[in-house]
Amino acid sequence: MKSNSLWIVLALALVLVPFLALAGDEGTGRDKTIAAKQGKANTIAELVAMYDSSSCEECHLDIHADWLKSAHSRSIFGTGRTAATFRTTILNGCMEWPYSGVKEFEEVKVEHLQGCTKCHLPQLADATDEVAQEMMNTILTFMKAYQEGDTETFEKNKATLLSLNINCLVCHNRNAIVHKWTDGYPQQGVVYGSMEGEHPSDDFPAMAKSPIMKESILCGQCHGLGPNFELENPTQCATAYGSYLWAYKAEGGRETCQECHMHKTGLGHNMQSYRDPGMIEAALDFDVEAYGMHWRDGSLVSPKAVVKVAMTNKTGHSIPDG
Amino acid sequence: MLNEEKIYMPVPQQMGRGDRMGRGPYEKSGIIEDTGLPPHKTVEERFEVLFPVEDITNDSGRVIDRKLLANELDVKVELWYLPYGTRNSDPFLWREAAKTISISTEGR
Repeated sequence: MKSNSLWIVLALALVLVPFLALAGDEGTGRDKTIAAKQGKANTIAELVAMYDSSSCEECHLDIHADWLKSAHSRSIFGTGRTAATFRTTILNGCMEWPYSGVKEFEEVKVEHLQGCTKCHLPQLADATDEVAQEMMNTILTFMKAYQEGDTETFEKNKATLLSLNINCLVCHNRNAIVHKWTDGYPQQGVVYGSMEGEHPSDDFPAMAKSPIMKESILCGQCHGLGPNFELENPTQCATAYGSYLWAYKAEGGRETCQECHMHKTGLGHNMQSYRDPGMIEAALDFDVEAYGMHWRDGSLVSPKAVVKVAMTNKTGHSIPDG
Repeated sequence: MLNEEKIYMPVPQQMGRGDRMGRGPYEKSGIIEDTGLPPHKTVEERFEVLFPVEDITNDSGRVIDRKLLANELDVKVELWYLPYGTRNSDPFLWREAAKTISISTEGR
């Protein structure tokens, strides 16, 4: 009899749990996000299609051209070294850690890549482990082709990796709202920016205001506070946002990431940092003063040169980031 | 004559524990120290370079005088941004300054 009672309780629990999850107000609108409406992507192609922003280019040609020059457009491939670091992360990280569950590349799941993809490809969270596997295989094949000089395979896999990036929909939809219980979940079919109303696009017929589109917190989602504690094995890549908050804003700094990296430099969506001549010029003052002197070392004279260097960081964060 | 380097960077802690520095993002958590250039602050460095001299010794080997071999020194200061920590991989020269430093040849 005891056993039967237990089964009834379990059966009730199974029925009640989904109901309770839907009954509350928490997460209202979560079911209308791109990921919720389309379900998880099962292939890289599906994931690319899910966050396809190629139609934006039709009207926003200049912005698209700017974005293409930015690191955001190649966030997985990078210079090739970024993609290679995914392999290193699995090889020197996950495979060496006793509790990661990864002994072979074939065991890599989305969660094992999230230390990198949380920022390099946030939308991977909306994909199945099959996509993580496909991505890992693409990186391994690309690297092998590079080592073997197999140009055709290299280019094919490079193209696949380049199709995975931080595109319009990542910043203007998926990550456009940080406080979702306050401001609502980003909805499929809506482009978030600084205006609201109709948007002449079949796929995105509406515009809505993101309260953080011009705020540093938008960028801070990826540009780093320190250890990513939400992960089961925290990683740390960028720390620029942490420095911005505690060493710049806390000291009275007032400018936002966007003001320096997009507007003052005129770079727009070609957001650059240490590679761009304009950003380098604006980043710091560098003064060198030098003079000679006859230093008297006891009874002997040791002539010496003195070189004084003064560097003033004019940005809103520590240099370098890391 | 002298080639001195100073490194400015946040020094990441390995796995958020101890005194060992982490390298890859997967093992970085925390900071041991930050020698990076802080925002809106001036960091000053001072370098001293000795001019080339020849020591003149007496019969017992004691240095009794010092002869200046050159009264000009060419100094070059470079500031590099090294995303991968080495000039062999994707380096960016941010600033450079060249100075010729003269020293008087008269007086005792």
